[in-house]
Amino acid sequence: MILIIARHQWLHLRAGLLWWLLLGLGQLLIAWLAFAQFETFAEIAPQLKAAGSNLGATGLVVVPTLNSLVLFLLVAVPLLAMGSLASESRSGRLEAWLTAPVHAYQVILGKALGVWLASLPILLTTLATVALLGLGITVDLRLFALAATGLVVLALWLSCVCLLFSTMLDHPAAALAASLGTLVFLWLLDSFGAADAAWQQAALLPHVRPWLGGLLRSQDVVYFVATGMAALLFASYLLDRRRGML
Amino acid sequence: MEPLLRVRDVGVGRPDNPRLNAVEFSVHDNDSVAILGANGAGKTSLIRLLAGVCAPDRGEVLLNGQPLQRTGIDARRAIGYLPQRVAAYPDLSVDENLRWTGQLHGLRGSALRDAVDQVCAAFDLDGCRRRLATKLSAGMLQRLGLAQAVVHRPRLLILDEPTAGLDPLQLDQVRSLLRSLASDCALVLATHLLDDVEHLCNRVVLLDAGRKRLEHRVTPDSDLLALFRHGDAAETTGNASGAST
Repeated sequence: MILIIARHQWLHLRAGLLWWLLLGLGQLLIAWLAFAQFETFAEIAPQLKAAGSNLGATGLVVVPTLNSLVLFLLVAVPLLAMGSLASESRSGRLEAWLTAPVHAYQVILGKALGVWLASLPILLTTLATVALLGLGITVDLRLFALAATGLVVLALWLSCVCLLFSTMLDHPAAALAASLGTLVFLWLLDSFGAADAAWQQAALLPHVRPWLGGLLRSQDVVYFVATGMAALLFASYLLDRRRGML
Repeated sequence: MEPLLRVRDVGVGRPDNPRLNAVEFSVHDNDSVAILGANGAGKTSLIRLLAGVCAPDRGEVLLNGQPLQRTGIDARRAIGYLPQRVAAYPDLSVDENLRWTGQLHGLRGSALRDAVDQVCAAFDLDGCRRRLATKLSAGMLQRLGLAQAVVHRPRLLILDEPTAGLDPLQLDQVRSLLRSLASDCALVLATHLLDDVEHLCNRVVLLDAGRKRLEHRVTPDSDLLALFRHGDAAETTGNASGAST
């Protein structure tokens, strides 16, 4: 049932204009950023070589472009997820879901997977554009593969977190605002206070940056798994509570 | 005999200002019960409770003797539900909407194909199976909603104002469909149209300001308008719940 709901959600998103806009916009934005970085790199490459610097194309072109891709995902996934349950509620279709012989966790997992599936083509095509740079420059393939995996995981995590807000709020725009607000807060959290403060562990950027830089740490994996699971469990709880199953 | 559905002392909302209060009645197999009441009487709140969309704050709804909210999720296969707004995806075709509802109720493969074929034929939707739901007329959309409610062959069909907003021809079509459905399963429908009650139901529960005012067996000589206007008078003359004629 989870896979059926995921497929339905993916097909529903793909049928909308928003998905195609994000697909096109993602391509345009990342291609422009990647080639702008590449142009700058081409200009300074002789000086770097003369100075004996270790910085290569991967560090100066690929990693900054992937960082921009993270920012794009932080906007694109909430846009895809905002209507997952909020628009079902607003259109009255949620009543049919609540009456159906389907568990809340199946609905939530299916919807989260559906949003993730919809975000994958957007992500993978932009990654392919970045990978095309490999035709002209030497790219560290191990680092690129690890960073790409990190972005795929980040997209899944974003789907789970944004789905929670779509379950909590009955209006897609409110769900979008809450998702973006929370993500911006998590994004900026490490800029405030002492770097070793315990609450800094909740910040998003310190868990994303090492992964994009080619360093896979268990604490980052635990962060994404724990917070993603918590979001899914809470969303299931909210849906069950709505139909009085608790 | 255990009723198919039993509503026991159900209440919704704050006790000092309830939307529904102490409502009780039962639905047996092949019963057709109308929930009648003026706007704001609590019909939709009650229908949503019966369909398992939400839970009552007081009392309970029993399906086959088990509390609906605590029984296994599979028990909900026995229920078919048509909400006030048809639960169709506007960007999916009639066929896709029906397949989707069937899948949600556990139908797969050839069973799903057969079920969709059957409801399309029964509800005269064969000619528009590929048409998007957003392109359907009000009557066709209501037929699609009904087809969605019965695609999994439920034992209990719960309908919230199934004939609201239809023109006379569409009204006649939908009523004859509902009559044919009532022979296969129990029917509970919320309405404020006396014609619906007269044509489709053998029992009526009259709600007034969230309370059950009376329960009455519908006969050809029932004066439903008088019942609707003067429910208390009808109750005192022996048409009250439990003592329905």
